[in-house]
Amino acid sequence: MSFYDCVIEPLQLSMTCHGERNAFFIQEQYSTYNELTAAVTRIRKTLHEVPEQYIALAAHDNLLTYASILAIWMEGKCYIPLHPLQPKQRCENIICQMGIETIIDSEEGAQYGNRRVICLQNLPIESEPMKPVTMCADDMPAYILFTSGSTGRPKGVPVTRHNLAAFVESVRRTGFILNENDRCLQMFDLTFDLSVQSFLLPALAGACTYTVSPKKIKYQAVFELLDEQKLTFTMMVPSVIHYLRPYMNELNLPELRLSLFAGEGLPADDLKAWSECATKAEIHNVYGPTENTIYCTDYCYRREGKNKQANGIISIGRVMPGTEAVIVDEDLVPLPTGRKGELCLAGEQLTPGYWHDEQKNNISFFNLDGKRFYRTGDICDIDLDGDINYYGRTDSQIKIQGFRIELSEIECVARRFFVDNTAVVAIAMEHPLHGLKIHLVVERTDDDNLRVALSEHLKQFLPTYMLPAEMNFIPVFPMNTSGKIDKQRISNIIKNI
Amino acid sequence: MTKEEILQQLNDIFRRVLNNKLTLTYDMSAKDVDGWDSMTNLMLIGEIEKHYDIHFKMREIVKLANVGELCDTILKKIA
Repeated sequence: MSFYDCVIEPLQLSMTCHGERNAFFIQEQYSTYNELTAAVTRIRKTLHEVPEQYIALAAHDNLLTYASILAIWMEGKCYIPLHPLQPKQRCENIICQMGIETIIDSEEGAQYGNRRVICLQNLPIESEPMKPVTMCADDMPAYILFTSGSTGRPKGVPVTRHNLAAFVESVRRTGFILNENDRCLQMFDLTFDLSVQSFLLPALAGACTYTVSPKKIKYQAVFELLDEQKLTFTMMVPSVIHYLRPYMNELNLPELRLSLFAGEGLPADDLKAWSECATKAEIHNVYGPTENTIYCTDYCYRREGKNKQANGIISIGRVMPGTEAVIVDEDLVPLPTGRKGELCLAGEQLTPGYWHDEQKNNISFFNLDGKRFYRTGDICDIDLDGDINYYGRTDSQIKIQGFRIELSEIECVARRFFVDNTAVVAIAMEHPLHGLKIHLVVERTDDDNLRVALSEHLKQFLPTYMLPAEMNFIPVFPMNTSGKIDKQRISNIIKNI
Repeated sequence: MTKEEILQQLNDIFRRVLNNKLTLTYDMSAKDVDGWDSMTNLMLIGEIEKHYDIHFKMREIVKLANVGELCDTILKKIA
């Protein structure tokens, strides 16, 4: 199935058929599909004159931003979201890596140097009928997302039109089917790929998408929408229900019919409590890296009887249609059923590779039996039924509220602050109540001025979710027997501070 | 207790939990305060509940527009 057949044509049909129905609920305000169509039309008219393929999009929480994504696709182009709350330096790095010339921004105020800025506030309103779309090959990217990179530079993951069409088709064949009466949650920043499923699946079905403002505390905003808007479809990161645990007695959600989780390990005990609020919902735990387009494995939660889990974390289930999974050892040799190793994925949803990064591509992708596989870095096993259990990471990547964080990126940025090669380590420590917390440990004696200056430096380069929750100072780092910094002993020291 | 006293006590709690030297005002909300996110919010609520020996419902919390309204709610609960 092509991108046109799976995405563009159904979108246009949905926008025409459901004109009077609500498409979005953003910051307490409804917008209909007719309003969405008018916005898409006027953005397309301007975009049509733009020669470049890659368009940066300032990712605000408003109708014009969502309309821009649809307009970009209908004009055969690709969007690269820029987070307005992320540091300017990080956005600038992405713009430079991509060689971007054109930026769409629906709000005024941001500075992008000499580049062309399409300021949507100033565009005339168009009431013309929808024009035929600009065709584009399916191997062109539909979006490129930048994730944390271990070298201190964010890395670009292009997802092609073919990849996205394959995802939509796979979701349909898995049985996640929405209709025009659904009220759907969109709690993700547009720089995070779960956002794509959270606005695209409802738009394809003529349903209404309820967004969470980035200015609010996320789990509270989700609670409010669940409680007041009677949502019927949700995709959430597990930390939301973890934070809501003390308040679950206030939640009664008989309207919720399909509840999905993704983005981080799903604790079995949180899920059990949630299932008692969402009494009628079918609950699924899905999994997938950005590199394999949004998600590609699925586990259906059983209300009666036992659920598969490893160390209290619910199984991520079986591969969805179009994806293949294999577990390999350190030499990339496939392991037999039940053996733990690195999970690798292949199939229709697999990215062609990181943007202009041959070195990283050579490490992360390999061929096996004539197919190209991606090394997820996740330690898993697959049981006799084909269900996959997740155990942990092979590297220093961690996840906080679904955001992928390379601890080594934090270390790289912190190291740049010191001119004298002061050693730093970033350590993730489990806090009994609040989950993972990042500590940045510096080989120095404690100094208030240094703390302030270093924290200002980090804020310039790292998004908020990557900023260390705590800074610790140790005058001399302990070393292990091979002469390397002993992270384990450092964690023990800071635990006792 | 007065609203001003509550604000002063909240200021101490916020400084301790967020580990910084901010000065709270009535019109502040999460978006105005560095480090006030999902995780620290949970810690802040926990500390406030412990300090005043009160309990918040999530339905109350989500309706609080700013620190001033938080002070008013606390005043009502301890009255």
